[in-house]
Amino acid sequence: MNAGLGFKLSHLQSMLLFALVISVAFGFLSKRRPADRVKYIAWALFLFLLVGVGIGWAMYPFSR
Amino acid sequence: MEENKMAGEAAIVAPQRDAKREAIAFVIAIAGWLVPGLGHALLKMWGRAAMCFLTVGVLVVLGAGMRGNLFSSNGNDAFDSLGFIADMGTGTFYLAARSLEKEGPDVSHADGDYGTRFLATAGVLNLLAALHAFEAARGRKA
Repeated sequence: MNAGLGFKLSHLQSMLLFALVISVAFGFLSKRRPADRVKYIAWALFLFLLVGVGIGWAMYPFSR
Repeated sequence: MEENKMAGEAAIVAPQRDAKREAIAFVIAIAGWLVPGLGHALLKMWGRAAMCFLTVGVLVVLGAGMRGNLFSSNGNDAFDSLGFIADMGTGTFYLAARSLEKEGPDVSHADGDYGTRFLATAGVLNLLAALHAFEAARGRKA
């Protein structure tokens, strides 16, 4: 994939970036202490990726 | 007698203070919507302000860079209208995205589809942040 501003992103990279940005935003908005934020961000990122990859695999049989 | 008088004054002053607080919270929410992070910055929540600005900014730049669809007010159906509401959630960044996307949207490739989601998410995220700033200004959340 070739992005308009010059960066190339694959499907996985797009998903990773999206999950990271949203996890960081949720972590900062919902938690106050830095340690809590880090834990929340890591957990949210893990769940985002787990669900994303899980849905990807669930759709795999229908991709061809 | 004196106690009753003081209680009466307090009963008048407290709603006035609440009304003023609500008005300030509303202004903070509007500011947070117009410029991502400004609502939290006005509340001196610097970390959250910086993060709101950066996360919404990154999503808008990526979305526009990937030529995502920026919905306009004259949509054809309910989905277009919802997309416009989501995109408008970024406040002034909506205009920035428009200026960044010089060649217009291109959703014929996966890039454009991802970009559309990035832009909409940026808007919804900013609305969530503005709501958070509103609640924090009212003293309900921090």
